[in-house]
Amino acid sequence: MAIKFMDPHDVPQIPGTEGWERMYPYQYHFTKDDPERAAYESNQIWYYDGLHYPEPHYPFDLIWDEAWYLALSQFNTRHWLVPPANGIDHRIVNGYVYISPVGVENPEDIPKRVPHFQERAGFYFQNWNDLYEKNWKKKVGNVIEQLEAINFTDLPEMEDISVIKEGIGKGSGYEFLKKYDKLIDLGLESWQYHFEFLNLSYAVQVNFFQTMNQLFPGIPMATLTKMSAGFDPILFRPDAELIRLAKLALEIGCEELILKPLKADELMKALAEDSIGKIWLQELERIRYPWFHISVGTGWYHTHISWNDNLEIPFDNIRTNIRAIKAGKTLGRPTDQILKERDRIATEYRALLKTDADREAFDQGLNLARLVLPYAEDHNFYIEHWFHTLFWGKVRQIGQVLTNAGFFGDADDIWYLRRDEIKQALWDLCTAWATGVKPRGPSYWPKEIDWRKGVYEKFKEWTPPAALGTPPEVVTEPFTIVLWGVTSDVLKTWLKGGEEDGGDPNELQGSPGSSGIAEGKARVLKSVDQLVDLKEGEILVATTTSPSWAPAFVKIAGAITDVGGPMCHAAIVCREYGLPTVVGTGKGTQFIKTGDLIRMDGDTGKVTILQRA
Amino acid sequence: MGDKDKRYILWYDEMEGADFPIVGKKNSNLGEMIKAGIPVSHGFAITIYANDQFLVLTGIKEEIEKQITSLGKVTYETAKQASAIAMNLIEKAKMPEIIEREILDNYKKLCDQTCMSACPVAVRSSGAVSMPGQMETYLNICGENDLIDYVKKCWASAYNTEAIMYRMNKGMPFLFNIGVGIPKMVNSRVSGIIFTINPINGDPSKISIDASYGLGEAVVSGLVTPDTYLIDKVTFDIIKTTVGSKETMCVYKDEGSDIVQKDVPEEKRGVSSLSQQEIKELARIGKLIEQYYGKAYDIEFGIDADYPFPENIIILQVRPESVWSKKEVEAKVEAKKDPMDRLLSTLLAGVKIK
Repeated sequence: MAIKFMDPHDVPQIPGTEGWERMYPYQYHFTKDDPERAAYESNQIWYYDGLHYPEPHYPFDLIWDEAWYLALSQFNTRHWLVPPANGIDHRIVNGYVYISPVGVENPEDIPKRVPHFQERAGFYFQNWNDLYEKNWKKKVGNVIEQLEAINFTDLPEMEDISVIKEGIGKGSGYEFLKKYDKLIDLGLESWQYHFEFLNLSYAVQVNFFQTMNQLFPGIPMATLTKMSAGFDPILFRPDAELIRLAKLALEIGCEELILKPLKADELMKALAEDSIGKIWLQELERIRYPWFHISVGTGWYHTHISWNDNLEIPFDNIRTNIRAIKAGKTLGRPTDQILKERDRIATEYRALLKTDADREAFDQGLNLARLVLPYAEDHNFYIEHWFHTLFWGKVRQIGQVLTNAGFFGDADDIWYLRRDEIKQALWDLCTAWATGVKPRGPSYWPKEIDWRKGVYEKFKEWTPPAALGTPPEVVTEPFTIVLWGVTSDVLKTWLKGGEEDGGDPNELQGSPGSSGIAEGKARVLKSVDQLVDLKEGEILVATTTSPSWAPAFVKIAGAITDVGGPMCHAAIVCREYGLPTVVGTGKGTQFIKTGDLIRMDGDTGKVTILQRA
Repeated sequence: MGDKDKRYILWYDEMEGADFPIVGKKNSNLGEMIKAGIPVSHGFAITIYANDQFLVLTGIKEEIEKQITSLGKVTYETAKQASAIAMNLIEKAKMPEIIEREILDNYKKLCDQTCMSACPVAVRSSGAVSMPGQMETYLNICGENDLIDYVKKCWASAYNTEAIMYRMNKGMPFLFNIGVGIPKMVNSRVSGIIFTINPINGDPSKISIDASYGLGEAVVSGLVTPDTYLIDKVTFDIIKTTVGSKETMCVYKDEGSDIVQKDVPEEKRGVSSLSQQEIKELARIGKLIEQYYGKAYDIEFGIDADYPFPENIIILQVRPESVWSKKEVEAKVEAKKDPMDRLLSTLLAGVKIK
């Protein structure tokens, strides 16, 4: 029997959230006003993107969803002309983003697209390293530089005299509005580059995974990753820098000072006043740009701040490192060993093949996979970590300006506005400032924001169905295959989860991240600053992990994340530490409570609650 | 002790493949496996020389030869008579003191290793020439008296009618001394089979393990649905664990070699019979055996409850895999003109849903 999910137009409204649609752009809504569009919506598969979004969307944070809606889709459809696949369509239901791969409708168009794809993708593959190393890194560096230069401050009581004497002829209100546009523009530009190589990388990975699966049926994702992975991804650099700083402190002898229980700013002051500490502090200042621009989360939500936003995090990690080194532990990733292991696995696998045709396919698949991997692994640091964390900081500055002007009770209220509404509010602010009158905002926004906060809380309590609509007969969109792993089996699991109300109340299904079985007490940590609570032998349950979580991995018996696939940070690190990991459970942090006795199977992705706390 | 060929006893870990004229093929193979790092049951061999000295020292060597010569022409009937004469003489003879002491001293060593007073052992015939299945093996022999009796029985079994006929057809002499293997009986908490390929599809990158409680008979004869494990042969990651129902298990009936069935306790059925480290170690050994013999193998193993991990893993029997190894090798993928061509065909195929 064909699998079918609830029609997207039939999802019930959550009582008390009526009117929620205005929190998001109009094109994101399922509607029936155009019968053609409604029929299209009913005939597509829409799945909840829990991989990126474990929580409902704040209206402003939807900017990144819109950014990749545009960029991912355009590269498939308009740049490369991926023969059978167009873009990925987006909708939002009760605050949760649903996405849907769109195929090329007319089969006759597919062969017509082939020569274009060959020419365009072929060019990028042939010039990959130059385009990435020279061109891409320069462009992205430039975008980040421009972003750093933007700052938002309160509008002046009067323009500076230089505006007059230099004949500038433009005012701060105008500049503020322009800078806001520039900020948004830079964000969207960074996401264009985010996808410049990504679609082709995923196409290569589909090819790699499928070729390897033909050669070795059921070859685990973890093995494929070990075989192709870069041995020194940039995402590990921040953690490596903290280890280096810890070693430096021990070497030059300022570790006692660093170990003192001081707040980051007090400690930095004390270090600056100390003759040895000063040297160490200089080194920290040198490496924190860019390496402390690492997010504590995935970077997708404004709550995912960076180490530079909260220096307590890197200082705590450095202290843990110092103590570990003093206790005789070896820290850091054994990159030599990882490289050797990667080559051993590839060589042994290749040796199992018996025909020239098989060996050729193996080499072709692996070589392309290794070509694209540095980009696939590293681009996140530039965009989601470095760019995003800086970007959130700039938006927070605007939030502060609007708070000072009475629009908001708190700078963080800004996240409840759509980005076009912020522009409207800024117009309100600037025109009133120019005119010398009171803006309407202070009487308009607080009420609306209060209501939106209430709606958002109701969204959070709602469990989004895994999928809506009608699955296609075949999925051809590379991201959908590799990143979200949509297969018949996955759809069946979704169907069970949606219609039988979750099945066993003590079981949770995620994806295998790292092999092994662990049993132990769960420790649910919502953010990295809760790491101090973590005890030896516990199983870490987190939304996601990032290099900020490094100190956790020497303590835990296993890890479970809401978000991520077999290539995510938690999975990579756990494989290196030999710890079982289940990733992409969707709701592990809600389902599991701290203290629950749980059993996790990193081979099957199953998590079982043995005893509730 | 002097040269190997004048010793009555050799431990498995003292021998190698070339020692088959001294201890018989089955025994020397075990020695060779230990040398290759393959863990086989702990034990020792009674040499072919010991068998010969037994016949000499008891004086029955001459007696047998005399009586057999008097039987005259070789027929099935005379072979039957010859068998009765030889077996009777051997089984009735008293074990010479010097040989008995050697056997029992070493048996005691084996008992001491497992902290048991009468450690159960097998008594296995091992000829220097292959004579498949024609001589006896006795299982679950406990204590000194039984051990000595069954060693004699084992020696006598070289003179059963079939064995005599076989040798006569091959033009071999009537008198035939054999080696005897005395391995500790594996006190199987769990037993099973390792395939060094995926038996379902012949994939050489996987190792498959079937395991269930008790003796291997339950798995081999399909009495239970065992636990099955699929392991990545290169990384040793466990890819798939399927816990079988395992309602019943085979065990030895007390102090005997009869096998009986017993219910597996309810709480042990639904859980994996092997631990993670046991699975990985079995996979490692499977790979080692495959590399040693240079082809895919099918391997019986037991997990001995009398030893700690990893000494508890015992390889019981190995044989070449017979199904997939015989198939013709075909390419698994279509040939493509270049990497782009391959990439395109993958993209066009997509992933089927239904």
